[in-house]
Amino acid sequence: MHILSIKSLNFKNKIFYKDVNIEKGQIVFLRGASGSGKSTLLRLINATLPLEEGTILYNNKDIREIDTITLRREIILAGQSVYLFPGTIKDNFKRYHEYRESQVPSDEVIRSLLDTSCIDFDIDTVCNNFSGGERQRVFISIALSFKPRVLLLDEPTSALDNATADRLMSNLVTHCKQNYMTMIIVSHDQTITEKYAEVTIDIGEGVK
Amino acid sequence: MSGAASISLVRFIIIYLLLLIVIAIMKKSKINQTKLLFVASIRMTLQLVIAGFILTYIFKHPHPVFTVLYLASMITFAIHRVLSRNKELNTNFKIVIGFSLAFSGLGIVAYFVMAVVNQSIFNPQYTIPLSGMIVGNAMTGVNLGVKTFLESISAEKPRIEALINFGAKPKDILLPFVNQSLETALLPTLNNMVGMGIVSLPGMMTGQILSGTMPTTAILYQISIMIAICTVVCLSVFGSLYLGYRTLYNERNQFL
Repeated sequence: MHILSIKSLNFKNKIFYKDVNIEKGQIVFLRGASGSGKSTLLRLINATLPLEEGTILYNNKDIREIDTITLRREIILAGQSVYLFPGTIKDNFKRYHEYRESQVPSDEVIRSLLDTSCIDFDIDTVCNNFSGGERQRVFISIALSFKPRVLLLDEPTSALDNATADRLMSNLVTHCKQNYMTMIIVSHDQTITEKYAEVTIDIGEGVK
Repeated sequence: MSGAASISLVRFIIIYLLLLIVIAIMKKSKINQTKLLFVASIRMTLQLVIAGFILTYIFKHPHPVFTVLYLASMITFAIHRVLSRNKELNTNFKIVIGFSLAFSGLGIVAYFVMAVVNQSIFNPQYTIPLSGMIVGNAMTGVNLGVKTFLESISAEKPRIEALINFGAKPKDILLPFVNQSLETALLPTLNNMVGMGIVSLPGMMTGQILSGTMPTTAILYQISIMIAICTVVCLSVFGSLYLGYRTLYNERNQFL
């Protein structure tokens, strides 16, 4: 069964998307020039942008018929603007889960998720002076802790060196497979895309 | 005690001489605001002279219509001032601010004049000066509160985006900003209350004492007006922001 289907979708009559079906558990990469509407597609999928024309089906149901908060708690978007609250790594997990009204994961779980995101710091480390790449990876591990069915990542490796980027992607793919998670990634990184994509969607030519 | 000694027009002119000191210091310190000083002094003089004439007329011919008109134009002006300083607001937010200012302002003025002073709301001698203080302070408060709110949500945009993408409710995301902005708007009034009577005698009390009111009566008015101001600032800012933040997203929880 398709977990996501995109049909005759366009955004404000400016960006036209090809019809796409995404299977459960797939690792999907989105490619396309800057401004071609990759990030917009992710935001349409998790309903943070209004969908005006076309359809997006999630588990065969039109997302317009699904409560947006419920939908966003299953389809998580870790966007390009990373935000961490002032305080420790653990504080951040706590704050975000409070906002989501969900159970804060145990220290063990947090440690293992940090491991997945290639963060070696202790959970009581203060995040305030972290580098861009470190913040990005802590942010991704928080997104993972919500146990999404679909994880949307917008340029997850943009602030990382090649080796770390490769390690992060490899860990994320393993994590997805273990947890039956679907992952849709926007990336400019050719090497990463070729190595990890099960499906690559070019949306570059969609713009009119 | 008798009313304030009236100032003769010739002696009144002498007060403007003090401005020469300001001009001299501005010149010496190279503050290029002499023009503003002139404009400000002239505008103040003209506006107050006009207000003086209007009030004299209204007090001589007290009619409910005059009081109502004065109140209405005061509130319209206050709303206009707040909205013109926060142009980026959406239409519904503007409507909410207008209603909050009007209702809280009128409500507190009515309570003060009718319940505390025990006068008719149409008695211009009480309603006009008291509503000026109450509505003026509400205007400053709402302006500060709305400005703080808009600035903080724009500064914390990544936080708002991250939370909405992670499935938090817009209400939970925005309420902390509402609360913090309300606190910022209330603090000047609270601090003002703390220092009252020690450093200086507040304006209203000074005016009443000059015009011959017993200081014991003057303090009752002063305390009442401060509590009224505190309440009107709190109410109008709370109303504006608490109802206003909901205009920032639609029923699909999408920020507009």
